[in-house]
Amino acid sequence: MDFSFTPDQTLLKNSARSFLDEHCKPATVRLLWDDPRGESPALWKEMAQLGWLGLSLPEAHGGSGLGMVETALLLEELGRAAYPGPLWPTMLVASAIASHGTDEQKKRWLPAVASGDARAAVTLLDSDLDWNPDAVSTRADKTPTGWQLSGLKRYVAWGHVADVLLVPARAPEGVSLFLVDPSAAGIGWTPMMNMDPGTRLADLKLDRVPVRGEDRLGAPGAGTPALLSLLRRGAAGAAAEMLGASRRCLDMAVGYAKVREAFGQPIGSFQAIRHKCSDMLLETENSHAAVYYAAWALDAGAEDAATAASIAKSYVGDAARKVCGEAIQVHGGIGFTWEYDLHMYFKRAKALEAQYGDAEYHRELILRHVAA
Amino acid sequence: MDLNYSPEDGAFRDKTRRWLEANMPKDDLKTLAERKSWHRQLYEAGYVGMLWPQEYGGWGATAMQQAIVQDEMARIGAPPAINGLGIGFIGPTIIVHGTEWQKQRYLKKMLTAEEIWCQLYSEPNAGSDLAGLKTRAEDAGDHFVVNGQKIWTSSGPIADWGILLARTDSKVAKHKGISCFLLNMRQPGVEVRPLKQISGHSLFSEVFMTNARADKQDLIGSLSEGWAIAQTTLGYERGGNSLGRVTRYAIAFHQLVRATRQLKRNGKPLLDDPVVRAKMGKLYAELEVQRYAGLRVLSTLNKGERPGPESSITKLSYTEFEKRYYETALEILGPWGQMMTAREEFEEIDTSSGEAGTWATAFLWSRAGTIYSGSSEIQKNIIGERVLGLPKEVRADRLKA
Repeated sequence: MDFSFTPDQTLLKNSARSFLDEHCKPATVRLLWDDPRGESPALWKEMAQLGWLGLSLPEAHGGSGLGMVETALLLEELGRAAYPGPLWPTMLVASAIASHGTDEQKKRWLPAVASGDARAAVTLLDSDLDWNPDAVSTRADKTPTGWQLSGLKRYVAWGHVADVLLVPARAPEGVSLFLVDPSAAGIGWTPMMNMDPGTRLADLKLDRVPVRGEDRLGAPGAGTPALLSLLRRGAAGAAAEMLGASRRCLDMAVGYAKVREAFGQPIGSFQAIRHKCSDMLLETENSHAAVYYAAWALDAGAEDAATAASIAKSYVGDAARKVCGEAIQVHGGIGFTWEYDLHMYFKRAKALEAQYGDAEYHRELILRHVAA
Repeated sequence: MDLNYSPEDGAFRDKTRRWLEANMPKDDLKTLAERKSWHRQLYEAGYVGMLWPQEYGGWGATAMQQAIVQDEMARIGAPPAINGLGIGFIGPTIIVHGTEWQKQRYLKKMLTAEEIWCQLYSEPNAGSDLAGLKTRAEDAGDHFVVNGQKIWTSSGPIADWGILLARTDSKVAKHKGISCFLLNMRQPGVEVRPLKQISGHSLFSEVFMTNARADKQDLIGSLSEGWAIAQTTLGYERGGNSLGRVTRYAIAFHQLVRATRQLKRNGKPLLDDPVVRAKMGKLYAELEVQRYAGLRVLSTLNKGERPGPESSITKLSYTEFEKRYYETALEILGPWGQMMTAREEFEEIDTSSGEAGTWATAFLWSRAGTIYSGSSEIQKNIIGERVLGLPKEVRADRLKA
C-alpha cells in the first residue's frame, strides 16, 4: 500500500509543470481566449513531442503505454495552467479506439494522435441533455455502403478543430459508436460562447450524414458499455483538471493573504482568512485523494473503479468550485477583475463540472452501486 | 502508487478476522472487570499496544497492521479495548519524555489495563487556550501540592492515574510556566464528578484537586517543560484510526439504505425518492473520500513517518464530515432518526463514542468531535500557520508576553 507517486511519476509531473509554466502562461491562455480557433497548433505539436498525447496509448501504436495515474498527473498540471484545447477529448477517443477499434482503425488514428497530427472530439449529449448513454436519440440507419446518421448533438467540446468525431447513435441493434469525418456532408455546426472561453462548445446537427461501414467502432449495439467506460475515464480526468485549478487558486490565495495588508497587518493573520484558506486546503487534499484513488482503481481494474470515478467527479466538482470561488473572496475586488488571472481557473473548474457527467448523474450511479 | 494490500497485510487481516470470530465475546460487556478481561485478551493476542516498542511490552507492529485490526474490529462490531488515552498517547509520551523508573513503573500496567489512565489538561477557563490553565502545583520539598479543577476528563471515575498539566511558575509567560506530572487519582485530594453530556451519557467528568499530592519522581521531563511535552502528546492523539472509523460509517450507511427501503414516501420506498437518492449519493461519496484520505495518511505512517501538522487536516476532515453525515441521515429518517432507544433493526448503529447507539445518539455525539482534541477552529489555526505558512495572528496575550 503506497499512496505516493513513484519517482517516474513525480518526474512526469514536474516536467509537465515546468513546460506549462513556460509555454502555457496565463498570458498565453488569454491570447487563446481571443483566438477564433481557441487552441495553439504549435503547443499541440510540442505536447505531442513530449509524449503527452500518446501517454496512455499502446507502444505498438506510437504511445507510451502508461496508465490513468500518469494521465491524471498530466491533467492536474494542465488544469493548473488552465490549458485550453482538445487534449483530453482526443486522448479519450484514442483510448476508445485502442480498446474497441479494428486494426485498421488503430493504424489510421493512434499514431496520428500520438504524433500530434490528429485531434478528436466526442459527442456525449443528445437533444434531451441526458448523460445516460442509453438515452441516445440520434439515429443510425443502414445504407448499402454503411450508415447514415441523423440527430442533434449538443455542447460538443472542440468539435471545430477535430479530425475525427466519436458519435454514439441508435442503430437497429442498439446504441452503437461511429467515427465520423467532421467535414462530411450533412454536418452543421452552431458554435456558442461558454462562460469559460477555454472550453469551446458547439451544437452539431447531423442530417443524413454518411458513414462508411468500416468506420463503426465496436460491434453494433455494443456502444453503451464503451461509452460508460469512456465517461468513467473522462470523469476521473476532468476531476484531475479541476484539482489542478484548485491547487492554483489555493496557491494564489495563500500567497496573496501573506502580503496583502489591512488594518496594519497581513490579512492571512486574520482567522476569517486563515480559516478559509485551511478549508480550501482541506478540500484540495481530499480532492487529491479522490482523484488518485479513482485513477489507481481504473488502472488496477478494482471492483469499485466505476464508483470511485463517479465519486471523484462529483466530489471534486463541488470542491473546486468552492476553492476557486473562495480564492476570489480572499482577494476581494481585485479577484473579480478580468485582468487578474483567478477567473481563468474558476471558470475552467466550473466548465468541467458540466462535462463527462454532472454531479447529479454521478451521484445516482454511486447510489445504484451501493444500494444495489 | 499502489493501493493494493501487500500479501503479508492480507494474511494478517485473515488471521485477525479468524481470531476475532473465534474470540469475540458472546454477550455485551457490562462490568469494568469484563471489559478489562476482554482488553487483556486483545493485548495477549497482539492487538493492543501494537505500535509500542517491544522493550516496553508493545508489539512493534506496523501502522498498517494496527489499522487493519481496528478495521476488522469495526467490521465485526467487537467491543473496543479500554485505556485508549493511555495507550494512544500518554504511554508514548512517557516513552519519549519519561525517566527509566517511570517507564518501568507505569507502561506495562497501562498496556494490560491493570491501571486505567485519564488526561487532566482542559479546565473550565482553559480549553482552546490551554496554556491559560490555572491549576497550580507547588513545590513542597519531596512532592508537589496540586490545587485546581480539570474538566472534560474521559474515563475519570475509572481512572487510576492521570497525566496532568499544572502551573509551576506564574511569573513567566503563560506557556513557559507549565509542568507535566503523573497524578495518582486514588487519593483523598482528588474528587471526580461525572458530567452529563447532551446525549444523556456521562463519559466525561470534572476533576477537583484539593491539596492533592504529585510525587517528584512523577514529574515528566524538566520543570516548566510541560507545554512542549503537551504539544507532542497532542501530536500522538491525531492521525491513526483511519480505516476502522470509515468502516463504522460504511456499516451505518448500509443500515441507512435498509431503513430507506422499509420507510415509505408517497406509497413508495424512500430509497426510490430522487431527492433522497441525491442526498445519499453525495453522502456516500464524502464517506469514501474520507476513506481515500485515510489510506493516504496510513501509507505515510506505514513508512514510519510521524504525523505532523498535516494530521490536523485529517481530524478536521472527518469530524466535520461526521456532523454532515448524521445531520443528513436524520433529515432522511425523520422521526425514526430521533429515537434514543432502538426498536427497529435499522435504528441501531455504531456511534463515534465507540458504543452501539441509535442514529440520534450518533447525531448528538457528532457535535463532540469538532470540539475535543483541539476544536476545528484550533485545527484551522494550526493548518494556516504550520502547513500554509500564513502569518501568526496578533494576539493580546502575545503582546503582553
